[in-house]
Amino acid sequence: MADNPENIEIKPGDFAPLDKQAGPDKEKIAAPSLTFGQDVWRRLKSNKTAFTSFIVLVLLFLMAFGGQALYHHDPNAQSPKYANLPPKIPGVNIHGLNGHINQSGKDVDAYAQAGASSKVHYVLGTDYLGRDLFARIMYGTRISLEIALIATLIDLTIGVGFGILSGWKGGRVDLFMQRIIEILSSVPSLVVMVLMATAFQKTGMASIIAALALINWTTMARLTRAQTLQLKNQDFILAARTLGESAPKIAWKHLLPNLSSVIIIQTMFTIPNAIFFEAFLSYIGIGISSPQASLGTLISDGQKNFQFLPYQMWYPAIVLIILMLAFNLLGDGMRDAFDPKSKR
Amino acid sequence: MNLKTAAKVTVVAGASLLFLAACGSNNSSSSTGKTKQVANLTETAELPTMDISKSTDVVSSDALNNTNEGLYRIGKNGSITPGIAKATKVSNGGKTYTFTLRKNAKWSNGDKVTAKDFVYGWQRTVNPKTASQYAYLYSGIKNADQIVNGKKAVSTLGIKAEGDYKLVVTLDKPIAYFKKLMGFINFFPQNEKVVNKYGSKYGTTSTAMVYNGPYKMTGWTGSNLSWKLVKNKDYWDAKSVKMKQLNFQVVKENSTGLNLFNSGKVDDTTLSSQQVKNYKTNKNYKVRQTASTFYLELNRNDSNKTLAKAFKNKKIRQALSLSINRNEYVNTVLGDGSKVSKGYVSSGLANNPKTGKDFVDDAYVKSGVEYNMTKAKKLFKEGMKEIGAKSLTIKLLSDDTDKAKQSSEYIQGQWQKLSGLKVTNNNVPFKTRLSRSTSGNFDTVLSAWNADFTDPISFLSLFTSSNTYNNGKYKSAAYDKYVANAEGKDANNTTARWNDMVNAEKTLMNDQGVIPVYQQATAHLTRTNLKGIIYNTAGSLYNYKYMYVK
Amino acid sequence: MRKYLLKRIFYLFLTLFIVATVTFFLMKLMPGTPLQNEAKLTASEKASILAQYGLDKPVWLQYFIYIGGIFKGSLGLSFQFSDQAVSYLIGSRMGPSMQLGGQALLVGVVLGIILGAIGAIRKDTWADRVATILSILGIAVPSFVLAILLQYYLGLKLGLFPVAGWSGFSYTILPTLALAASPLAETARFIRTDMVDVLSSDYIELAKAKGLSKFGIVYHHALRNSLIPMVTLIGPLAAALMTGSMVVENIFSVPGIGEQFVKSILVNDYPTIMGVTIFYSALLCLLLLLTDIIYGIIDPRIRLSGNGD
Repeated sequence: MADNPENIEIKPGDFAPLDKQAGPDKEKIAAPSLTFGQDVWRRLKSNKTAFTSFIVLVLLFLMAFGGQALYHHDPNAQSPKYANLPPKIPGVNIHGLNGHINQSGKDVDAYAQAGASSKVHYVLGTDYLGRDLFARIMYGTRISLEIALIATLIDLTIGVGFGILSGWKGGRVDLFMQRIIEILSSVPSLVVMVLMATAFQKTGMASIIAALALINWTTMARLTRAQTLQLKNQDFILAARTLGESAPKIAWKHLLPNLSSVIIIQTMFTIPNAIFFEAFLSYIGIGISSPQASLGTLISDGQKNFQFLPYQMWYPAIVLIILMLAFNLLGDGMRDAFDPKSKR
Repeated sequence: MNLKTAAKVTVVAGASLLFLAACGSNNSSSSTGKTKQVANLTETAELPTMDISKSTDVVSSDALNNTNEGLYRIGKNGSITPGIAKATKVSNGGKTYTFTLRKNAKWSNGDKVTAKDFVYGWQRTVNPKTASQYAYLYSGIKNADQIVNGKKAVSTLGIKAEGDYKLVVTLDKPIAYFKKLMGFINFFPQNEKVVNKYGSKYGTTSTAMVYNGPYKMTGWTGSNLSWKLVKNKDYWDAKSVKMKQLNFQVVKENSTGLNLFNSGKVDDTTLSSQQVKNYKTNKNYKVRQTASTFYLELNRNDSNKTLAKAFKNKKIRQALSLSINRNEYVNTVLGDGSKVSKGYVSSGLANNPKTGKDFVDDAYVKSGVEYNMTKAKKLFKEGMKEIGAKSLTIKLLSDDTDKAKQSSEYIQGQWQKLSGLKVTNNNVPFKTRLSRSTSGNFDTVLSAWNADFTDPISFLSLFTSSNTYNNGKYKSAAYDKYVANAEGKDANNTTARWNDMVNAEKTLMNDQGVIPVYQQATAHLTRTNLKGIIYNTAGSLYNYKYMYVK
Repeated sequence: MRKYLLKRIFYLFLTLFIVATVTFFLMKLMPGTPLQNEAKLTASEKASILAQYGLDKPVWLQYFIYIGGIFKGSLGLSFQFSDQAVSYLIGSRMGPSMQLGGQALLVGVVLGIILGAIGAIRKDTWADRVATILSILGIAVPSFVLAILLQYYLGLKLGLFPVAGWSGFSYTILPTLALAASPLAETARFIRTDMVDVLSSDYIELAKAKGLSKFGIVYHHALRNSLIPMVTLIGPLAAALMTGSMVVENIFSVPGIGEQFVKSILVNDYPTIMGVTIFYSALLCLLLLLTDIIYGIIDPRIRLSGNGD
């Protein structure tokens, strides 16, 4: 056992500060720091169905809005000679895609019958005026989406504004505004839309958008109101108020961000709803007028020939169904993603 | 109800529903007997009324024609066959008709059909209080116009009953087609007792009505989609009626109709264009022409001054007509059996009294209905120069039916091939189209005219300068004169009258006063074992009196 | 309770009044009259036709007459059917629509509950996925597409059911199925979400711990608790059925109100459009009121009070 040295000299150079970067840091958050949006996105990605829906929607949007850049066919160009030709993809010899058709029980080459040269081929066939169905479906999808998106945007503005105002003001104003919503929502929405569409003399898109917007905002308003009621008694709002922030500013800077999840989720269900109602109006004959087309008018036209040319209804119907499915599934996914409780 | 029982009820109900569903499907496969003299027919629209004075549509006109009868019954090819009148005497230069009625004609409630029923029925129709929308057909019968205008009493109408079985009708001027008119439902007798009994409910259901024709109607509630015509045992010629029952079903979707036909549920259905393509060779396939022409009217009084000027320019009118490929349109787009118009008057309506040639062949003006895009482009350019315009934007007004939509889309496509012309479509409901046409609120309109009776004058009288149906305000002194002669001084001279009408049509077509497009037909699937159906192109279309199932 | 009811009924009438007013003036803005061929009518004929429909009076008077008529059960005369009262039209068309609506609701809700329950019990398994896809398809496939497919394949190709028409129970099957898709989907989604919540609650854990069979748990505890909020779904479902009936009845040639409504729109039969609109709104209002009352009765947690919402 050695004796302790009597005098130890500690020089300044004996110690060096620890490299903070190298050592473990107790304050550090192990998981990457995520904003709310990033977190939602991450959870959405982990939900396979929702994510697939998202991709599908992106593709559909690309097709609808950008498809014409790649597929140069005028959706309104008529060539009545080639009316009602079935789909034909060169080199593919599967019935239904080879330009053959069952006519009076016989298999007929419809293209040859129409006197079309071997160069003529329509990927998804043609309609009764010989218009390219693929081009028309792209065009119709675009119109359907445009109508739905614009109508939803209007919904959103009215609905959120109404909801916040109603919830924020409270009292008599709230009571009165709630009655308005109550009255509006006890009228069947389709009836209102039909009335609007009829009254506006079928002027096409504008009247349909107006009709859709008029009726769909009530749900949005109800949801935002409920949320506003909850939020407005919370401390951070109180703080903002005490600091003398003006009401519109509070609504814009504090309420809206907190309402965003509700709004986004609701939007995901409003859009397909609008698409559906537009299709419905067009189907019963008071929607978009020719030569404009929407998925609804395409299905309605195709349905007349369903027994013989099933493709004329099937293709637009499939696009509509996929669109509806994708929006609904994405909406479901979003709801889970925005709900912190469902975090795993 | 507590929840447990509620759940049980639901389960039982659900199960029985499925069970019943299974039973139901068995019943449905049994088909109707073939030799039973029963047929299942379809209509494409509801039956709006059974009141003779108020009928304006084809469905009620067909129903009334087969459940009631007038002085005559219109038979095959528009021929006049015996009805309630047994004998007819024409006197006073074609201005007085004396009808002797048969004594064995009865109403389905047992009353006798007498001359008074005719007097009552006619007076009821012209009475402005009845608000009949077809009273104008009475024009030409003494005092009819003044009565309709409320200027004379109803009792002054030129019809008198002399006893129960003699009827005397006086006309203002001879009417060449008067006997034909007597076969149309608007001139059928009406039973005063029954009309008074039901009051405003008269003709609103199958029971609030009385019948004197081959069939009686049953099962019509006034708003439902099906009804029956059953043999009327009280009909004076009941022995000629072989059918026991005709079942009618309203089917608005052609595809539904075809499905029904193919499943054996109905014996007749109308086909749409693509359906025609696939059934053209089918043994049940039948095309039924109607005396109706679809034509374009150009508004010479258009509120847009440039357009008004353009439509007054003959070259532009001709260019618009020449640019429409009627053959392609009718065969590939419509494809439902409709025919290319050979002129404004429809074909199959009347034949030359001497040569037997169809009116449209006698009055054919090739340039009025041909297709020639090069010429159209040239004329359009010249016309535009003449009026000093660079571009035109035309609104094309039309109905909102499928066919009308297809028509306007096609015409739009063709017209826009003329440089400087832009066309927008405006498809509106039938009545809106009518009221906008009448008030002159349009640029061009796709109109249709169905002949009221089988005579070209039913078409030609439309475009005299004062006629209210002359929506485009076509004006031609020559045309007016020809029509006036046919209706006036030449009424009793068949040949001269014929020539007047041919000349009128030629004038109209040479001027391109209107642009005829096509003559409508409907394609049907009708089972071949249905025989003896009489079909006419104008007036009441169907006569089922001699129909039978083989 | 009584105060609440009175208040609700007052609002019901207020709603209907507003609906009637707005519809009335909207329809007045539109062109078109009962005149079929205006061009051929004389002035006195026109006058008497307009008088028959009460259109000769100034608009404000027509409005008061119309509103007054509603209280007497009169909705005016149809333009399309001559001399036919709109109220009679609705009355005679109501039966088939109600039958189809009722059947579709029954089939849809029963199947929806089953699908939803399967989804919740077998959460995140293939059975759940199949049930989910089925129920979402019910929302995604429009009823008109479904109706056409059913008619063609089940009606014509397989000959299982009558293709179209209205003469007996078998004729109701295809339209019922076409209409049932949407309530089925809505119910299934609702029940699944609700039951997933319920199944994770403490008292279910207790029931499990007590050794109750899985079926017993679902039937006695979970389903009951999920069914109560289901009542609130009936209003929206009924509204959806009204929508669906318009095309489904048309395709299957069913003499119902929806079919008539579409026809009225296409032929500008304004009195009928107004009448059906008011009828539909009244029906929906009544249903909403009824569901609220039923909800109050079966769910002891809710006490109806007069304090607004």
